Amino acid sequence: MNLRSPDAAGVNSGGGTEDKPIAPVEANALHPCVTLSGLSKTYGVPGRREIVALSNIDLGIQPGQFVCVVGPSGCGKSTLLKILAGLESQSDGSVDFAFPASERPLRSMVFQEQGVFPWMTVLNNAAYGLTVRGIPKKERQEIARGYLETLDLGRFADAYPRSLSGGMKQRVNIARAFANDPELLLMDEPMANLDEYTKLIVQDDLLRLWEEHRKTVVFVTHSLDEAIVLGDRILVMSSRPGRIVEDIPIDLARPRRVFELQSDESFLRLRGHLWEFLKSEIDALRIREALPQSSKP
Amino acid sequence: MNVRSRELVVSTLSVMGFLLLWEVLSRTGVVDARILAPPSSVAATLVELAANGQLSRALTYTVVRFAVGMILGTVPGIVLGLTIGLFRWARVLIQPLISVFYMVPRIAMFPLVLIFLGLNEQSNIVMIALGPFFTMVITSAAAVRNIDPIYPSVAKSFNTGTWDLYMRVTLPAALPVIFGGIRVSLGLALLGTVAVEFLVASEGLGHLIWRSWQILSMSLSVAGLVAASAVGMMAYGLLGLLERYVMPWQQR
Repeated sequence: MNLRSPDAAGVNSGGGTEDKPIAPVEANALHPCVTLSGLSKTYGVPGRREIVALSNIDLGIQPGQFVCVVGPSGCGKSTLLKILAGLESQSDGSVDFAFPASERPLRSMVFQEQGVFPWMTVLNNAAYGLTVRGIPKKERQEIARGYLETLDLGRFADAYPRSLSGGMKQRVNIARAFANDPELLLMDEPMANLDEYTKLIVQDDLLRLWEEHRKTVVFVTHSLDEAIVLGDRILVMSSRPGRIVEDIPIDLARPRRVFELQSDESFLRLRGHLWEFLKSEIDALRIREALPQSSKP
Repeated sequence: MNVRSRELVVSTLSVMGFLLLWEVLSRTGVVDARILAPPSSVAATLVELAANGQLSRALTYTVVRFAVGMILGTVPGIVLGLTIGLFRWARVLIQPLISVFYMVPRIAMFPLVLIFLGLNEQSNIVMIALGPFFTMVITSAAAVRNIDPIYPSVAKSFNTGTWDLYMRVTLPAALPVIFGGIRVSLGLALLGTVAVEFLVASEGLGHLIWRSWQILSMSLSVAGLVAASAVGMMAYGLLGLLERYVMPWQQR
């Protein structure tokens, strides 16, 4: 597995060091805020139909980094995210967080299936994380409203989710995760159920919000294009067993505007380059899988 | 006139047309007026009953029994059902008992209830409450267990405490199904009320209807039915208002 040091490729060149409200520690390869060591996850009983979802993942993530995880279905990227979120436990290895001590919650997650609560108004949905942390009503509503305004949902604050389209609901979801002000933001294919155009709009909104607050993000997607547009760094995973096969820095300049990026020269060049690179990986994978397995898992 | 008003007019005309047809068939003797009283005589009977206070008397008894039985059955039923749905130990312990008793026809249980509690109003209320009770236990348990799992996942990802989880997520998520159960319970409670009044009561709409058969007064009998359905309609109307208040987010 070839893990390149992110710093060497200048991943934070796009204004990574100026605006860091979280960490007194400067962005630095020696001070990752999230560390995975030998992380493994196996489903099933040993010896009987065992599925190795994740195998020996070693990873370090810097504060304020936008990390995208791409891979085909079943490569374990969602499992990885769920373990990071604390919704599932690993079979082996460790997950360590090193964020400066603060009032902030550790992490918030944005799910693919949205999970916007239909019985709460958009405002109360966005304020949910703050509500369960006991933050007083006036304060939390103000905070939530701010995030909704940034995502152009201010008008819908007192509406119920049933009046919203899929794209808008996903934006509420994103507002909710951001409003909770976590150290780490986890996103599980949040744009997967949106149509092409809505996807671009929500991506743009997400970037705008992220650029304001520069949170550490782990974003899972099956779309390489999306990963290039959004991320500072792409982790490519392959399945059977799930592992990271590539760690690619993306040094497109920030702030990025999604719509302009689609026809931007450096973006297209990078995209073409990456597709070429991945094509050889995919071909190698196909060759490997065409050969008979020498040992059963 | 827009589409909705037009539809309302057509519906009203439809009902009026039906009543008119009924009236005509009765008066011309096509349908024997002694067997099926025409709407006019039913209306006249109702007016008479209202005038001499019999109607309000019967209504009071019926409505009070119905309301008390409904609440007495529904509330414990929901509480128990939610407990079974949320806690595994409760399900293992209580569900089998519920299943056993649910299978016994309630009418057959009536004599037992009478022996236990005596021939009094308490037994009446208990009988009426049984239908809603079992319905709500089963419905509430199912409601909790069928919540879309994404909601508890989201709540967990925000480190939601147990109390907040139940109050802010589980309960609201289960409410639509629970209200569906309450609708069914309402019908059962009304049925139970009239049935109980047939059998043992000396007051109430059911008793009125029963008595009307004994004196072969069909107009009285239909009048009683009309009053009973009016009670039912009012109850459903009130339930609708309650639903709108408790679940403002629900799509109509």
